[in-house]
Amino acid sequence: MIKKKVTILNEHGLHALPASRFVKHAEKFKSEVKIIKDGIEVSGKSIMGILTLACEKGCTVIVICDGKDEKDAMRDLSKILEGQD
Amino acid sequence: MAKERRLKGIAVSKGIVRGTVFIFETKKIEVFQTPILSIYIRKEIERFEKAIKQTKRELMSIKERINQEIGADFAQFLDAQILMLEDKEIINTVKKNIKDEKKNVEYIYHKVLSNYAEKLGAAKTLYLRERVVDIWDIGMRVIRNLMGLTHSSIVEVPKDSIIIAHDISPSDAALINPSNVLGIAIEVGGQTSHTAITARALEIPAVLGIEGLLNKIENGEVVIIDGDRGILIKNPTRGRIHFYEEAKKKELEFEKTLSPYCELPSKTQDGRHIDISANIEFFAEYIHARKYGAEGVGLFRTEFLYLTRRGNPTEEEQYRVYDTLAKRMKPQPVIIRTYDLGGDKIVTDYHEANPFLGWRAIRVGLDNPDLLKIQLRAILRASANKNVKIMFPMISTYEEIRRVNFILKKVMEELKAKGIEFDDTLQVGIMVETPSAAIISSHLAQQVDFFSIGSNDLTQYTLAVDRGNEKISQLFDHFHPAVLRLIKNVIDAGHDAHIWVGLCGELASDPLAMPILIGFGIDELSMSPISIPKVRMVLRALTIPQCVEISEEALGFRTALEVKRFLRRTIHKKFPSIEMVVRKRGEKNE
Repeated sequence: MIKKKVTILNEHGLHALPASRFVKHAEKFKSEVKIIKDGIEVSGKSIMGILTLACEKGCTVIVICDGKDEKDAMRDLSKILEGQD
Repeated sequence: MAKERRLKGIAVSKGIVRGTVFIFETKKIEVFQTPILSIYIRKEIERFEKAIKQTKRELMSIKERINQEIGADFAQFLDAQILMLEDKEIINTVKKNIKDEKKNVEYIYHKVLSNYAEKLGAAKTLYLRERVVDIWDIGMRVIRNLMGLTHSSIVEVPKDSIIIAHDISPSDAALINPSNVLGIAIEVGGQTSHTAITARALEIPAVLGIEGLLNKIENGEVVIIDGDRGILIKNPTRGRIHFYEEAKKKELEFEKTLSPYCELPSKTQDGRHIDISANIEFFAEYIHARKYGAEGVGLFRTEFLYLTRRGNPTEEEQYRVYDTLAKRMKPQPVIIRTYDLGGDKIVTDYHEANPFLGWRAIRVGLDNPDLLKIQLRAILRASANKNVKIMFPMISTYEEIRRVNFILKKVMEELKAKGIEFDDTLQVGIMVETPSAAIISSHLAQQVDFFSIGSNDLTQYTLAVDRGNEKISQLFDHFHPAVLRLIKNVIDAGHDAHIWVGLCGELASDPLAMPILIGFGIDELSMSPISIPKVRMVLRALTIPQCVEISEEALGFRTALEVKRFLRRTIHKKFPSIEMVVRKRGEKNE
């Protein structure tokens, strides 16, 4: 299992488009993906879960990937969270 | 036979149609609750799975349609909706709750969604809060499928329909299919509402602001929409139907006489060329622009991109739209105006007492340079096509244009440093739509390559009249001598500085105004595409010396009424060939 702290840089926070991109990518990996914000944990494969975290620009979340392809998953997924659009 | 009734509203999009009422309701359905016997739990879950699948098929087909008709960029919100629909967390929670609570799936699903909607509704960011709309959009679709109810989706409107609704959201408005929708009537909204703009863009007759409409009209009845006079007629008498059929016939004949003017050159009788271009709001309208013979896009409003996306589109998304538009219009020019948005669209919980005098358009852009820069980068990249011009809205001070130019220069330098291609000679202009800009236009002209006079806002600000306010809307008159003097001032200031001056408000398509504008020396007129043939016909009947004389005399009058009377008289005497067009204007506008 690997954990990583990521800061959201998108102007409008983790809104529908980046959230859906995140989910689409997360689903490609076998690993379990979780996002934790302010003590609330949601599945990284659930767009509704991610949206309800209400991640605004500048907030920090913890991403957890757990499984065989966790390293690849983390590399790919944190890039989306740190993306600007 | 039932008695005829006339329901009065605001005329926002011209034309007369008779069609069948299609009530488009976004009202929530009452979700019932009922216990389920343990042996039926599996059945209940199967019912749920089936409804999800059916809903997905529906969303895919809508997506396909938007892809084909409007463009892939606009279909993206459906991708997010499909993901929400198939969200495993939700599906698993619903299944689990059906087993635990032994209640029907409609009730359980609704409860689970309410839970998410509540959390999302508490978010600080507007974009996130607005996702609640998506949740219920999909949720209700699934529930309607579960209950075997039909959808009242705007995409699925049958042929020859008149859409009747309380309101139509911008995202629904984007989905209106002009080949099926004959007319629109809704309870709310005015001239500048999204429904009005969409209706005009798609050339669908529309009447807005009819109070209590839904209580008076039923699905399936046949009504007439008179978009010229702003009325809906219920149970029309035979005489009325005949009257409208005749009117329609005349309208078609009129269009026929105008059709050659889609192609003739935009020249006065004595050979002076005036550019006649199109105002467009949706990308797809470039088709209208071409059809009616526009010589370019004089105003591409970009707000729509922002509003349909319910958030700021990325540079890439914007670039694709601007680039495609530029390519389709090539070699004709395309003037892209940066966002003219109210602050409430940008920041959560932002309200102001007087939005028209508030934080909007370039004022918002200058306070959010990142937002502005993304748009500028996208426009500049599209300018590599060599036919793009940039325009800034709502400039009211000299400092603003200095600051905007500074930002633009910085963006250009960034692009250059990265080796990204753009047109470094692209023209930069401003909308002159505040009295202050019109008065100091000689100074502003030093900073730009062109002016485009926004006559609607200029009139509204000069006369201190909100035309949406019924009590005073009769005071709104762009022939007011104060407005005419300001327009002349702007054109003179522009020409003194050797820059060109256009006009893109409603005045540009008012045949009565043509002799004055031409006489003042206007270089370009930009209007809704449908008005182009009419304006060109008028233009081709005029001569420059006559127009100069008329415009000079017009400036001497004291009231808008005197100006208009004088113009009518003069046209009657000197240009009988265009009197038909001018008289037609009289019928409709006054």
